[in-house]
Amino acid sequence: MTKIRLLLQKDLRLLVRSPALLAALVLYPIVFAVLVGLVVRYASDRPRVAFVDLDHLPETLTVGGQSFNVPNVISQVQGSVELVPMDPEEADRKLATGSIVAEIVVPPGFASKLRGMVESPTLILKTAKGGLSGRVDQQTQALVYSLNRRLQAAYIKANLDYVNLLVEGGQGSFLGNEFDVVGLDRAAEILDEIKRTSDDPTIVQRAEELSVFVREAKLALSASGDSLRATANPIELQTDTSGGRTWLLSAQIQAYALGLTLAFICVLLAAAALAAERDENVIGRLARGLVGLTDLVVVKVLLAVLVALGLGFAIALVFGFVAEIFDVSGGEPWQRLPLLLLGLLLAGAAFGAFGALMGALARDSRTAVLVAFLAALPLVLLGLVPEGAARAAWWAAQAFPFSHAVDFFQAALYDSAPWRTLAVDAAWLLGLALAFGAAARLAVRRLLA
Amino acid sequence: MLLSARGVARRYGRVVALAPTTLEIARGEAVALIGPNGAGKSTLLSILAGALEPSEGAIESGNAVRRVGWVPQSPAHYSRLTPRENLELFARLEGVPDADETADRFLQLLELPDDGRLTSQLSAGNQQRLNLAVALLGRPEVLLLDEPTASLDPRQRRRLWDVAGQVRERDGAVVFATQNLEELEHFASRVVVLLDGAVVFAGSLEDFRQAPEADVFA
Repeated sequence: MTKIRLLLQKDLRLLVRSPALLAALVLYPIVFAVLVGLVVRYASDRPRVAFVDLDHLPETLTVGGQSFNVPNVISQVQGSVELVPMDPEEADRKLATGSIVAEIVVPPGFASKLRGMVESPTLILKTAKGGLSGRVDQQTQALVYSLNRRLQAAYIKANLDYVNLLVEGGQGSFLGNEFDVVGLDRAAEILDEIKRTSDDPTIVQRAEELSVFVREAKLALSASGDSLRATANPIELQTDTSGGRTWLLSAQIQAYALGLTLAFICVLLAAAALAAERDENVIGRLARGLVGLTDLVVVKVLLAVLVALGLGFAIALVFGFVAEIFDVSGGEPWQRLPLLLLGLLLAGAAFGAFGALMGALARDSRTAVLVAFLAALPLVLLGLVPEGAARAAWWAAQAFPFSHAVDFFQAALYDSAPWRTLAVDAAWLLGLALAFGAAARLAVRRLLA
Repeated sequence: MLLSARGVARRYGRVVALAPTTLEIARGEAVALIGPNGAGKSTLLSILAGALEPSEGAIESGNAVRRVGWVPQSPAHYSRLTPRENLELFARLEGVPDADETADRFLQLLELPDDGRLTSQLSAGNQQRLNLAVALLGRPEVLLLDEPTASLDPRQRRRLWDVAGQVRERDGAVVFATQNLEELEHFASRVVVLLDGAVVFAGSLEDFRQAPEADVFA
């Protein structure tokens, strides 16, 4: 144990004597984490979609007596997608080359069907095959939903105009045909007059029956406005954007910042530190009885653990203080620190063991750093793949500590009931640390050759 | 017998770095390993030091655990530590009781700089003397030297052989690889000639002088 402590002190001293390297190792992953956060946040925003207008929509479209400025409507619904007007050939070509993710085609006759208000006009969505098509479907559905929301007011008004025509009577038009309607009010007056003036009891009785129907019909139609609005929007969504953490302080960004920092620093550090024992020609001196090869691997894993604890704790403190200073709600930045430290310890050990394996396989520190980086980068990116997106990639990512570390950090810092996630990911991290550590111990003999 | 190699060999794939070799080292001896580059001298010394596992054969040291000091051809210490820090670290790893005092003593004995400079900033000669100092920390019974004087000036060479002589005087032994026949004449009591990984001569210095192998290195 004393020998492990001595070598660990030596490694920490060497690390402190390379401040530029240390600064680069710390800053690089943090910048990387913020960039990943930005990508994660904005990747789903505003995919580029072609807008192909085969109906030559007019500048102003009148539906149900309401006028719509078409360019204005389009610009207002562009929050979810970026609509780019194109002719059909250009849109097809760009969809094929991937310059756009979808086409929305307005077919001929769209505007007249819309104005007619009898048959629902159809928009055509063309998407490419591939990972984005599902998301574009969702975005386009959101766009159509947004358009429908704007149009339904006009449809409701037009329908209510017809209802009013039925109640009050007057001149109307439907499918271009002009007609006169007596209206329920006038019908009631006529029926009253018949009841007053007729001597035939049969006619009076029938007029009375019709009067009852007219009264009930008026009563029912008086509620048709609310009923139509409720039918159009059975559930109203109220969006409240105040409160909660901003994306920069979100659980996702903090967990990624910690995970990425540790993934790169611990892996590269352990790999370089182990291979450096051979670079310095010291491995032979140590291996001849001074320090066992198992102890040597343990030292490098412990080095990664110490650095993980120090850096991870510092990052958590920074996030916590910023949250306090800006009075950000959500999460429990201080109460969960002990849990976070456990995660840092396990993640540091798993990443460190993986790094030690890379160092033993590469044999010299420059190659070890390169190999460790080349190995860690795709494994980290695999860890960013959501479970449902690509099953094989997700399973491959399970064999690397990154996704387990991120899940652990997220659960430890923010989940209200984190214990199951913590137990599962802690077991994964411990298992990976032992597996990579054992592999590193087998491979470290290569350093002696 | 202090240390013996029983049929030790080392292969890297199909390349034979050292054919099965047997060598016994007795108290008070100074064994010179000579041979051209790539003959297997460093491999044999590394195996004797325990720094390299033999592909076959074994190293034996009787019933006792022998303290072996090893000075490899390339310096084996931490370049980003100072000489003092290196000496203190290796003294503690060797289990030397008073590491600080021991480091002081070797800094003075081998005239090593103690001005805070990192080892990487020292001259090649100073680095080689630190290499020797680290090997001597555990008060070895057997000192293994791999071409130790290559980067030393004449005064430091004399100092090195004085220190190696002290190990012999303590009833220890020295095994050294060299290409320098002057050092052989001056210090060796026995000579082992290696060629292409195999021992081609083993005998006393007097026998070596008479042997045809001596002409090869003249």
